[in-house]
Order: sequence, then structure tokens, then C-alpha cells
Amino acid sequence: MREKNTKIRKKRISRLGEQGIVFIDFRDTKLLVRYLSEQGKIIPMRTSGNTVQQQRQLSQAIKRARHLALLPYISDIQR
Amino acid sequence: MENLYCTIFIVDISQNPEEVDTVSSRIQQLIEDHGGIIKRVNPWGKQKLAYPIQNRNYAFYVEIEFTANSHLNIPNIIEQEFRINDRVLRYLTYVVTKKELQQREINAARMKQKVVKTDEEEDKTPPAEDKNDSEQVDSGAGLIKETELMAPDANGDGSPETEEEKGEGKEKAEDVVEEKIEEEQEEVSEDKKE
Repeated sequence: MREKNTKIRKKRISRLGEQGIVFIDFRDTKLLVRYLSEQGKIIPMRTSGNTVQQQRQLSQAIKRARHLALLPYISDIQR
Repeated sequence: MENLYCTIFIVDISQNPEEVDTVSSRIQQLIEDHGGIIKRVNPWGKQKLAYPIQNRNYAFYVEIEFTANSHLNIPNIIEQEFRINDRVLRYLTYVVTKKELQQREINAARMKQKVVKTDEEEDKTPPAEDKNDSEQVDSGAGLIKETELMAPDANGDGSPETEEEKGEGKEKAEDVVEEKIEEEQEEVSEDKKE
């Protein structure tokens, strides 16, 4: 059990901070798409490496974009 | 408190394309009648929807920015209008935060830099490189003026051209960043193995 806990997960480094993005705009769908899974789910911050603040902004932006039909709620599963 | 609001709505134009003008003018009139000041009207144009709404695949997006005092309660008044109108498929009104304004300034500055840079690259024919620095600065200043003239349209966030340009630039920047990250990750993984 200890071994499992001590294993360090590969955490992707957040790209948002490095680009100098202060505010995530819901109009910028090209950026938002990167934080969606194939099914259109929001990627969790443990895999994307976002900070709490970034993730909050991101989820709000994605939800706004979905409401305005800029992003899908569910995208087709490719198979 | 004086707030800057932004409202975006989607109009169904499958039956009557002129519906957009009637709806947007009515909303603008409502805002002005109740004491708001319209800052910017930005029609995004006909766009494909990410999912069909009322069996429509295409619709017209309009963005209106206005300032108003918060106790005037203009967002509620607009919402009532949106709800009554059948042609409005979706609407969203929100308060523009300081961070968003900050981001817009950053984007505008980046756009300017990019325009100047690309123009300089085009100008850099072999003889041009031998010129004095002062002349190059002059040419740069001229270009800045040109971009400023272009600014009113270029600063509009929603206009499709500018968005595309931004997107391309970002992708390039991110590719570089991605490469760096990959290198770092490889190094880290190697360290772990050891």
C-alpha cells in the first residue's frame, strides 16, 4: 500500500500559466477544446495540471460555451 | 455600482433573416430606455451550432456590451424580452470582470506586436538588413500607426478573422511549449528510473 501512495503520478504542467493567460474566455473554443475529453467531458485538474483558480475559470467558461452551443454537451464517441 | 455587462444571444434566421435586426435593435432600445449606455455591438454572423437547438443547425450570434448601474436591473429586463421572443434560441448576460478587460488588453498588445513583426519580416529583403537601426525604428513606428488605424475592427474579440489569427499564433507558441514539456518529462522519468 505504501508503495502505491508514494508513487509519483505524471502530472502534466499547466500550459495556461506559461502562455500568460489571465482570463479564460468562453469565446476561445480552440483553447477550451483542449480541456475536453473525446466525449466532451471536462478533463480533471489532476491530469491537466491546472491550478484551482485556472480550473474554476475553465469550467465556468466551458459551461458558458456549452450553453451558447459553441461546444457540445456530448460529442460522438468515435468507434 | 456601475457595471460593464455583456450579452450574447442566438437568433433563429431560418424563416426570416431580417429577424436579427429587429431583435437587436429592440434590445438596444430597451437598454437605452432604462438608462444603460451601449458600448459595442458585435454581430458574429451566422454560425454552426455545436448541437441542434429546435432542429436548427445554424443561427445568428449577436454580442452587445453596455454599461449600467446595477440597481437599474437591466439584465432582468432583457431576459424577460428574450424569454418572450420565440426567435431567440439562447441568451447569456454576464458582468465583465477586471480580469477579462486585462486579458483583452494583453491580446490587443499581442496582436499589434504580431502585425509589426510579420511586416518587418516581409520587409527584410537582403539590402534592408544593412540599413541603420534608426530607419528600421521609423518604419516600425509607421506600422504601429497603421495597426492603430486598423484597431477598431481588430480589437473586436468576436470577429472571426482576428480569432483565427490569434488561434494560429497560440498554436505555434504552444507547440514550442509542448516540446519543452516533453523534454522535461523525459528527463524526470529518467531520473526516476535511476
